[in-house]
Amino acid sequence: MKKLFALVLAVAMVLALAAPAFADDTITIGVFEPLTGDNGPGGKQETLGMQYANQETPTVEVNGVTYNVELVVADNESSNDKAVSAATELVAKGASIVLGSYGSSVSIAGADTFGEAGVPVIGVTCTNPQVTEGNDHYFRICFTDPGQGAIHAQFAKNTLGASKVYCLGQLGNDYDQGLLNYFQATADELGLKVLKEDFPEGTSDFTAYLTNAKNFGAEVIFAPCSIPYGQLIIQQAASQGMDVVITGPDTWDSNMIMDSVVATGMDVYCTTFYGEGGAPEFEEGFKAYLNGDETALANNGGNDMIAAVSVMGYDAYYVALEAIKAAGSADPAAILKALPDVTYEGATGGIAFGENGDAVRSTAFIKHANAETGAWEAELTDLG
Amino acid sequence: MEKTLQRDSARKIGSVIAWCLIAALYAFLILLDNVLPANGFTLMLIPVLKKGAIYSLICVSMNLLNGFTGLFSLGQAGFLLVGAYTYAVFSVPAEQHDAVYQYFDGGAIRFSIPETLGKLLGENAGNFLGAVVCIILAGLVAAAFAALIGIPVLRLKSDYLAIATLGFAEIIRAIFQWNSLGPITNGSNMLRKYTNFSDICIGSLKLSTAFPFFISMVCIGLIVLLINSSYGRAFKAVRDDEVAAEAMGISLFKHKMLSFVISSFFAGVGGALLAMYQTTVQANAFKSAMTYEILLIVVIGGIGSVSGSCIASFLYIACNEWWLRFLDSGSVSLFGNTIAVPFFRDGFRKVVFSVLIMVIVLFFSRGIMGDKELSFAGLVRKFQKKKSPDGAKGGAGK
Repeated sequence: MKKLFALVLAVAMVLALAAPAFADDTITIGVFEPLTGDNGPGGKQETLGMQYANQETPTVEVNGVTYNVELVVADNESSNDKAVSAATELVAKGASIVLGSYGSSVSIAGADTFGEAGVPVIGVTCTNPQVTEGNDHYFRICFTDPGQGAIHAQFAKNTLGASKVYCLGQLGNDYDQGLLNYFQATADELGLKVLKEDFPEGTSDFTAYLTNAKNFGAEVIFAPCSIPYGQLIIQQAASQGMDVVITGPDTWDSNMIMDSVVATGMDVYCTTFYGEGGAPEFEEGFKAYLNGDETALANNGGNDMIAAVSVMGYDAYYVALEAIKAAGSADPAAILKALPDVTYEGATGGIAFGENGDAVRSTAFIKHANAETGAWEAELTDLG
Repeated sequence: MEKTLQRDSARKIGSVIAWCLIAALYAFLILLDNVLPANGFTLMLIPVLKKGAIYSLICVSMNLLNGFTGLFSLGQAGFLLVGAYTYAVFSVPAEQHDAVYQYFDGGAIRFSIPETLGKLLGENAGNFLGAVVCIILAGLVAAAFAALIGIPVLRLKSDYLAIATLGFAEIIRAIFQWNSLGPITNGSNMLRKYTNFSDICIGSLKLSTAFPFFISMVCIGLIVLLINSSYGRAFKAVRDDEVAAEAMGISLFKHKMLSFVISSFFAGVGGALLAMYQTTVQANAFKSAMTYEILLIVVIGGIGSVSGSCIASFLYIACNEWWLRFLDSGSVSLFGNTIAVPFFRDGFRKVVFSVLIMVIVLFFSRGIMGDKELSFAGLVRKFQKKKSPDGAKGGAGK
């Protein structure tokens, strides 16, 4: 038995040592995404967008020479302590540029590893300001939390006409707490009354929180939490017969939230990066890709509904190609130098980098979940 | 008489081999940081070695409690958290405070120990000494927490102790995430930009991998000395039979408390090293799953074996973060040829890893080392015994 075990380990080691022998005509783009753990589903959908883009455009022409582009995926397991080795793996595999990650905290945790290796990273949907702040090699193509928090406060006050908002976030989750913070700041300016509460991780019974919201007289519940908690909040608000509007963050743009809405008939809105129908050509192609590949369809949650993060992943891939073209080489340092000036007209709108390497985005979408048709209806809003 | 002589010589040869190996190890680590070219192999080797060294210390500290004193405690993640936060809070440079504590107006503690020492002694010496001071501080704060909760908790036995310590770890996590403590702990947000391994160097000589090895080795050495002292024998007596130990005049509470506090001190040190390795700290990561991971390594290595814990740490980390990663990639590259394997897809690594662990737990229920230690003297004696069949009895070697 011991010998067998030793043999297995030895074989594993040999396999690991057999270094991937990439030909010179290949440029490697690293994908730093969670494929397992809490953010696994979202990370997979984001990766799907990149894989589709890679299938659509598998080559890039640099100085008249055509190179193959290869995606190398490293799973960061949605966990900060695994981020270092996942990031190192991408560096070790010779990534010229890295895309990711879904989830801001893993992005921040991996940032130093990429920084030390001098590899530029394009954040796809990580919205926390700290991702790019102080990290000169980290860029991002999405809007950031201060803007998103402000949109929600303005939306609650101006569009929904609310005067009291109940805010509910997960304790210990920087994403939730960050958004709540920015929401509160704008709400104070607008004169909205806010009651903020936190729930501990693993909460499945939100009755007490929702009762507090009822007693407070809240007309809107803003709950910037992850999808599973969002589903529970929607279902339990419905079973209590609450007459409120529930608003959520960009994570809620998911078919799983839609399922809960259809089942309960609640009034739900969320912010997002992409409005349905914004890029028909992409949608058609992406749906065909999903339906033609069983694994891809399973990774998308079993149906061909398009998640905004997939579109963002798609755009991020093309921005990376633009950067490689602009740099004129696959050298990470050259790409890093060329990145700030890269612009690209993508499926989610125009992308250009401004201060701190954050995307200059003037608009976001607010989506309404239509409980009768089971479809998202997007509206364009100006970012504050 | 002849046997004793042979034993002595085996011990001498063994210790010479051990010291040579340690010297060779450090030479290799320093070469790795400074001279060896950065390719796919060395790049992956470095984080695995660092994390392996840190986990060795954490697992040995848990083994001191669970394996040598017989206290089944599951509070390790809580003490790691306390250590990691103490380290990070006191080593965020002043100019980074506004960025790190962005929601708390720059935080309450506006100095960094490495930076302050750096102004007095020069930057490199300041970083090195400052890190060491912060690490020791991390251990002391964790030990203080242990002393506080030890008073009520150590009156409990077996399962009840496990439940109480598990609860403690969860409470600590919730307290550190509490917004009212935000100016110190940064609430739910992560601490970052503090002194980490890549800041540790002497002149232009980088010590980023050698440093965690050095700290871990010193700490594990201290634990081994403790285990071999009269206190250590008292711990083992308490583990084997509490009534008999008490009848021999060993104060149960005093020794349990001693073991608990010392174990927590080293867990705090381990937490500080982990914070340095991760370059960011967030309370969210220190869940009970982390305690189970550590417990698993202790069981794989052998409950009551220091060297077992160390070997298991390196194996576990290497498998989890490096060797089995190819299972996720969808293909195997074997000698330059890439072969697509249908089973290999995202998350498959986790399946294989779980099966491997089950195999180990089922077929090696006593772990890799049982309660024995890897000793070079033992290996030398084994070698001598082979040469002369009537020679000394084999030692404690594997």
